[in-house]
Order: sequence, then C-alpha cells, then structure tokens
Amino acid sequence: MRAKTLTDVLRQSDRIAVSNITGREAGNVTEVSQRYAGNIVGGWALGKGGGTIPVERQSSIPVLSDYADLLEHLPRERHPNKIVIYSPPEAVYGEIKNVVKSSVGNVETIFIITENVSIEVSAKIYKLCQSENIDIIGCNTLGVINATEHVRVGAVGGDRPEDTFHPGSATLISNSGNMVNTMASYLYGAGIGTRFGISTGKDQLILTPLRELLELALHDELTQMIILYVEPGGLYEQMAVAWMREIHFSKPVVVYVAGTIADERSLSLGHAGAVVEGAGTRAREKQALFDTYLGVAPFTPGRSFEPDRLPVRGLRVQTLHDLPEAARVLYDVLGRERDYHHYTSLHLNPWLKDMGRLSARLPPALVLSQGNIPSPYKEQIEQFHKTQFGRVTTRRQMRNASHASSNDGVTPRIYGRSVLGLMESQSFAYVLILGWTGHPPSRTFEPELVEKTLIASLTNGPGTISAQAAKLSASAGNSPHTAMIATLAAIGEVHGGNGKEAVTLLVDAFANSGLTDPYDAASKELVCQKARQVATEIAGRKRAAAEQDVTFQRVPCLGHPVYRTEEVNYDPRERVVARYLESAQVYHAFLDFYHKVAVSLREVGVTRNVLAVNIDAVIACVWLGICWPLLCEKRMSIDRAKNIAVAAFALGRAAGGVGEYFDHADFGQAMDMRIPVSECTALTANVEEV
Amino acid sequence: MGRWTVTHEVGELTFLRELAPRYAIPTPQFLEWPADRKAIQDCLGRWEGAVAKADILVGGRGKAGLVEEVDSVSDAMRAMQRLAAAELKGRLARTSYLVEPIPTRQELYTAITYDSRFLSPAITLSLRGGVDVDSIPESEKRIYPVDVYQGLDAYQAGELLEALGYPQGVISPMARALVNLWDMFITSGMKMCEVNPWRITPENRPVACDFKAVFDEANFKHRNLELDLPEYPENVTEFKEEMDRWNAQSYQGQAHVSDLGGNGVLPLLFGGGASTIIIETLMESGGDPMFLSDFGGNPPYERMRGTASICFKHKLASAEVLLVLGGKANNTRIDVTFQAIADALAEHAPLRTTALPVIVGRGGPRLVQGLLALQVCLEELRWPYTIFGHDTPITMVAQYAGQLCKYLKGQTTDRRDP
Repeated sequence: MRAKTLTDVLRQSDRIAVSNITGREAGNVTEVSQRYAGNIVGGWALGKGGGTIPVERQSSIPVLSDYADLLEHLPRERHPNKIVIYSPPEAVYGEIKNVVKSSVGNVETIFIITENVSIEVSAKIYKLCQSENIDIIGCNTLGVINATEHVRVGAVGGDRPEDTFHPGSATLISNSGNMVNTMASYLYGAGIGTRFGISTGKDQLILTPLRELLELALHDELTQMIILYVEPGGLYEQMAVAWMREIHFSKPVVVYVAGTIADERSLSLGHAGAVVEGAGTRAREKQALFDTYLGVAPFTPGRSFEPDRLPVRGLRVQTLHDLPEAARVLYDVLGRERDYHHYTSLHLNPWLKDMGRLSARLPPALVLSQGNIPSPYKEQIEQFHKTQFGRVTTRRQMRNASHASSNDGVTPRIYGRSVLGLMESQSFAYVLILGWTGHPPSRTFEPELVEKTLIASLTNGPGTISAQAAKLSASAGNSPHTAMIATLAAIGEVHGGNGKEAVTLLVDAFANSGLTDPYDAASKELVCQKARQVATEIAGRKRAAAEQDVTFQRVPCLGHPVYRTEEVNYDPRERVVARYLESAQVYHAFLDFYHKVAVSLREVGVTRNVLAVNIDAVIACVWLGICWPLLCEKRMSIDRAKNIAVAAFALGRAAGGVGEYFDHADFGQAMDMRIPVSECTALTANVEEV
Repeated sequence: MGRWTVTHEVGELTFLRELAPRYAIPTPQFLEWPADRKAIQDCLGRWEGAVAKADILVGGRGKAGLVEEVDSVSDAMRAMQRLAAAELKGRLARTSYLVEPIPTRQELYTAITYDSRFLSPAITLSLRGGVDVDSIPESEKRIYPVDVYQGLDAYQAGELLEALGYPQGVISPMARALVNLWDMFITSGMKMCEVNPWRITPENRPVACDFKAVFDEANFKHRNLELDLPEYPENVTEFKEEMDRWNAQSYQGQAHVSDLGGNGVLPLLFGGGASTIIIETLMESGGDPMFLSDFGGNPPYERMRGTASICFKHKLASAEVLLVLGGKANNTRIDVTFQAIADALAEHAPLRTTALPVIVGRGGPRLVQGLLALQVCLEELRWPYTIFGHDTPITMVAQYAGQLCKYLKGQTTDRRDP
C-alpha cells in the first residue's frame, strides 16, 4: 500500500477530482464536500464539459468533458492526487485506466463510489493500481472522512458532516457506509469524537482490506481507538487478526459483528459481499475470532474488570447500542481521556408520539413518556408548528400521475371515488368540494353554501369587466368557449381575484390561533379579538400613510360601489348566505369576523360607516371554512386554499360569461362593441417621420 | 408461489448441455428427462448402468437422496419421474437426467473463485473430491491465486497438480482440462465455478462429474454468450416476486427484500448494514419480522412510493406493527422518502380493519420535514405512533418494536382463545 498512515489516504491539502460529476448523486455530494473542505479541483463528465458547479462560500468546481481536459485546464501544481469515481459500473474500468495512464506518479488514491462493479473488473483494478502504486478504497465505498482536518470524499456525513463528525480520537472502519455515520453519532454522545471514518465498501472484494487499514490506524498518532463494524463474507478479519497477533497490535478495538441471521439460512443481506461463502466467512465465526483475540467475554453494560484482567486489546459488543458504553469503559479502564466531557447514555427517546388508546392496554415497560428532542431539531419542529400552517408538499414528476383523478379503463374516479357513484348520489357542489379539496364535504350544509356562492358569481350585470369581455368576444364572432376564455382573461387581481387577498387576511389572523372549527360558536370571543386587532392595525397603517401622504393597504373585499351610503351597509348577496346560515343554525367564524372588522373599522375611525361585506369576501369565507380543518391538519397547502377562492369566482363567472355571449350573439350586431375612431382620443402628439 | 425464472446459478445439466461442449471440457454423456423407454434403454446399454439426478440448484443432492444409481429402464423411469419433482431446502427441481457412470482411479476437487486473501481469482484443488468442500481439512486443500490478466496456463496448472501430489500420468490431460475450465470461468463472467469431482478414468481421461457455477450479475460477459439458460421454478411469494420485478426496473434506490415468513413486524428498513442489525434485533426480541428489506440508496419519490406500496399491498393487512427504521442517512433524503411512505400508507390504510401501531426511527438530511410528513399521515389515520430521531439507537428502536409486537400478538391470541 502506498499510504503509510491515515492522513495519506485523505488530508486537507489533497487535490481531489471527481468523475461523472454532473450525475444526480455525484453533483449533490461533491457540492457538500466542497463546502465542507474546499479542496476539490475539478470534475469531468462526458459531453457536459464547459460549465462549473457553484458552491456557497467556496470556489466553484470546473467541469470538463474528460480527465485529459481537466489536466489540461488545471495548472500543474493543481493536478489531482485523489480521484473519486462516480461513473456508471460499465465505465469504471475505462475511467481508471485513463486516470492511471494520464497521471503517472501523481494520483495516490482512487475512491470508487460506484456500486455494481463486476468482481472481475474489481480484481483487474486492484492489480492495475497495485502495479502503479495507487491505493484503492472501494468499490462501493460510501467514502472517507478525516474529521480532524475537516475533509471528506463521498457522502459520509450526509449534507451536514460537521453535525455528526466532531474531531476526536476514534477511527471507524465499517463495512456499511451508513454505520460510519450512525456509530460516529452514538460515540459523540459518549464524549468520543471521530478521527477518521472509513467506509470500506462491501463488495466481495474489498480492495483495501482491513489489515491494511488497521496498519494505517496504528501509525496514526491521533487514533486512540479503532471501532470496527463487520459483516459476513470474506476472510479479511481472519487475515487482520493473524497480523494483529503477530505484531502485538497496540491499539484497542471495539468490534461489532452483524449478520448472524445469514449463518443458518440462505439469506441475501443488503451488501453484495455480505454472503456466507465457506469456512470463516460466517458472522459467528468472525465473532469467535475476535473473542479469542480480545481474550475477554463479549461486553455487557455494567461489567467491571479486575485490574489484572483489563481488556487491553478491546471489547466486542453484542448489540450496537452498547458500542458507546463499551468505548467509554475502555477509555476509562485504560486510563485515557475522552475527547469531550459530556456523556449522554443511549436510551429510548421518542421525539413525537401518540399511542392513543393503545397506551392503556400496554404493560408499563412498553409505555414511553415523551422524550426530549435535541437541538436544533426541537427548534425546527417548534418553528414548523408555529409558522407552518397547511400542508408542505414534496414535489415530484407529475406528468403521468395524479391524485385528483384516475381511470382504470372501467371507472373514472375523482380522488379515488367513482364518478358514476357521485353522479348517482351527489350534487355538483358536493363533487366540486371533493375535486378541489381532495376530500368530501365534512358538513352537510357546505355544498349548499357553495351552490349559493356559485349562483352569486354568475353575473353582476353586463357592465362588469368580465361580462364585457364575453360580449367583445361575441361581437368579434368567436365561439362560446372562446368567450368563456375571454371572460376568464378579464378576471384579475382587482376584479374577482380579491378573494385570494381575503383568504390571506383570514389565514394570517387565525392560523395557529387555536381555531380548528370555524363553525363553532365558542370561537366568537376569539373572532372579536382578531377583528379588533386587524382594525387597530389598519388604523395605524392609515395614520402612517397619511403622514407620508401615500395610500395604505385596505381590508380586501370590504365595501361595495353601490351599497355604501347607509350607516350600516350590506351586500344583498351576502345577506342571502347569512340568512341561510341563520336558518341552518350555523355560526360562521370567518363571515362573523368580516362583519366585526367592518364594525371595528368604524369604531377606530378608519371608516365613516360600516362597510358592506361583499360577495368576494363571502366566497372566500365559505371556501376557507371548508378548507380550514384540512389546513389545520396539514392536509392541504395554503396556496391551494387561496387559489380556490379565485377559482370559485372564476367558475361561476365563466358560466355567466357564456350566458352573456349567447345573448349578444343572438341579438347583437357584428363588431358592435367597436368604438368608432371618432370617439377615441389621441393622448400623444403626432410625430412626422422625415 | 411457483414462478419460473432464469437465475445466475448454473447447475450440472446446463453445464453438460451448454458450457462443457463450448469449452471442450470432458464430461459424461447424459440424457434429459422426459425421455422415451427406447432412448433410456439405449443409454443403459451403452453406459452399463446410469446415475439419475435431479436438476436442482442446491448442494447436497447426494445426501438428500436426489442422486440414484439405476440399472433397469423401469427403475430409471421411476427415479427420473420422482427426481423431476423433487424439492430440497426450499428449492424445486426443474427436471431430472441420467448420466453415464464414470469408473474412477482418482478424484479431484476444483473450484475457481475470487479470493478475499489475494484480491484476485484463485483456484482451489484437493485430492478429496466428491465431498462437501467445507468438510475437507485445510491441510488437504491447496489454493493458488491466478493472475486476472494472464490467466491460468497449462504449465502453471501442471505445476499446481504436481505440487498437490497428483499422479504423474494424468497431470497433462488434467492440466488441459483446468485451462479450459479457467477459460470458461473468465470469458463467461462467472464469480465462481466448481467441479466436484473430476474423475480420472482407468485410461487417464479426466471427466467433470458434477458442476455448479454462479455468473456475476454485474458482469455483462455471460449475456454476450447467448447461452440458452433454462428457467427454474422458484418457491417465492407473490410479494417477493413483485418486489424483485420492481427492483429490476431501475437502479435508482434499491428495493431489496428477502422473505422471512414471519407475521409480526412489517419492516421498511434503510441501509444494508442497518437492515441486517435491525432484523437480527427483531428476531431476538420477538418481533417475528415478515421480511428483510433494504430500501436505501436515496430513492426518488416515485421509487420509494412504489416500493412502499408493494409492501403495504401484500403485508399491511396482517401486520402487528409497522416499523420504519434506518440509521442516520448520509445521502437518502428523509423528506422525500417519508412523504412517499406516508402517501403509500394513506393509500393502503383501508386494507386494515384496525389501527396499526407504527414505530419510526431515522436520521439524515431534511429529517424534521420527513418525520412531520409521516406524523401528519398517522394523525390523519388516527393510528398510534412513536417516532424516534437518530439519538435513539436503531437497535433500541428495533427492540422496542419487537417487544411491542410480541405483546400485541400475545393479546391477539388471548382474545381468540375461548
């Protein structure tokens, strides 16, 4: 092996280059590695050269189309000495031959992250690199981290390696990549930091065998203890232990051997090389091997050691959660200082729990009390609950997928419910609620409320902008669906779209306020308080605006151009909805809120009279009432709730626009919406071209 | 139960039919079942008897009575019929066949594998042929590394045989046979092949009398040979079959499962190492896991959702506890994978008539978003749940889930008892 000590495998001053750097995993991982260490000099990806990968707070990574180009691009002193291979399995051998040929003497170590490299290719890579004095970690390694020097290759530590890997004295050598991360985090709890974390890879051939890694750790001054995670398959441990005996290996090891389940049954474990393949390769044989070497029985918590029988060679743990305790005991009995003073014993610590009625049936030992969520996760969860209202969705490719509808060739469905069944038993408004919210109405009166708001949205007379658009379309000789589009195109932020603002106001006021049922009359007190709060805020805004002589943001959907002269004004369409709610004995917190805001605004002097709650507000209140429980339970996104208010108005008005179109098409004259030239005024003086 | 698939394993019959003639490896004559009386009669006449064998991809046929000497047509037909329907260690026979009995003056064990001690191919030789290789003492075996670039040549093979104390008169023909065996091994992309035993006839002719091999799935070479590999019946559940098909569709995130036959914990596990430890812990603590799973490798949403859906479709209804558990992920996005699991769970929850306790443990990128996505789903379903972060070791979480399952199963039994 070329490396003489662990730092020869990976150190801060290395110059790292990455193959297939634009791949999904390679790109993400390399960016984090660069942010963490800043020593990646470049990468290459066939046919994708010429760009760079930007990295926050670090220099961006140049991407070339092949390795030769990369060498040409970089000044000689920046030529890579470490290579990370992310190429597809069938390209790995070619890439490595190329690297070896182009970098005689420069490249010291190649890390092969790629999975599914054939065993024949692995053997060839080993032979090739051995003859060129190049070390290989892999294949199928997750990577290596040098926590002391803050540098890594591969994905060890995920997107925040510094959270798990705190500099320390334990070197972890693991057949499982995930276990490097997991064991480091357990050990840190016991006050033991990481010197090196090494994922060996667990293909059938591990190209830097355990014996060689132990030798590197032995020569590393900062490594006080070695942690081994071992799986079935291969005779690597047998060779390592024979060597350790031979040289009287001086550093303690803590070993965990997994995979006894594969000893008796023909089971394929997660890693390609974790297979029983003859004598010495079974987990129990490996456990016995270490037990004999260590000379002590496997570790059990609470065990004490006689002064003349100290576990100087180390301990084997039988369950992974005993690892930090065993490591701590070993440090103590060997008289060595742990890296950190804290010690947190591992225990069941539930972060989130609700075992409901099951708790009452369980024996006390299985009933857990709420645990303590460590920082920063506790703050993240609190922040989520405080600020997050509504569902946060994870985005995905939706080209050929839908939650909203399906068709198995027999039955079309809306959110899983048969259209045929819905046709037979439900109203249009009921199905609309299902189709827009993803859930059927939770209250029987909700479809009726939607029905009424749909009727109200149909028209507000031929002079409205949206009706004018339909008439213009008819006048131009369009077909009805074009007139419908014209109607919709004339709906905007100030005509019909105001419902979105109303929902925003309501969500801002009531999100995480404790209001979970908007039809619960017990919320009246809360509604009054919120209404006064909003009115006071508006009053403050109005005063500030007056001082600066600018306009101020008013309450959306309050006031009406026609119904505004009385001391207390009402939109008659809103009254229909209010009377229906009264007759059905339903309290509506959002409508009540709107009325109370109107009253409070007069009380605080913002308005001279009580403004009418207009139909846009009614639509917003009705639909938000339907959506509210879903938002509280984080089953619907806020964006959807806001947009539904606009869509509800648009749906009614598009139908109304078609009515206007039919009338105009039957009785109007062609082009009668045109304004004669003589009636148009030019506001720009003529400029004559010379 | 009972699909037929082409596997990467090769048994003696395929070797006799496809590989041995192609690589000029001397073998006995054979006759495949079904065969008519006349053909069997001819063989018995020419060969002076025969050996009937089951074509089954598992070792230990002799001990299990799946190899039978026959000397009459009716015995041969009865034996072949029986052996064609044999089952051993959960594997089913594809068919059966007769082979010519080979008189022997010397036997030899050979295997070519990749050896972890040399990190290269290696050939194992022993004069104790015909027995299970594990039962041959190390002192009676010789293992020699083979240069993966240069291969095994006749001179080298001869030297190895000589060092083993092989009879002088047969070294040359045996060395040629070993070179041909190596050619087959390396040019067809095998990861191991074993001839056990070679029989040396009184005329000093080596004959390969039993054979097994495994092609390396990651090596494209065997596909290029256009071998006519037969399909073998497999004893697998519909669940395993569907998951294997799904797994083969993409390299994005693995969907690896092995049926364990339990009826307790339904485990969705992440990470090759973690899944092994978790299953071991579940077994020790009474969790009776339904299968071993490894769903890591940072699967995108649609892969994870598909994987979870297959598990839930087949197993959710009969599970006692659902366990979603992995270590502290390096790479796998927890928000993406857990949202996918939550969505699949919501979709399949109607398969259950009762609430299912759910135990979760995880760490990794975007953890909080992932845990909360799953919590929202479980709240919505009104199912009992306990969610752990990465500060609780996976083995403790698995132990808790196992104990919970054991207790609930006990309760179920009590309720059913009169």
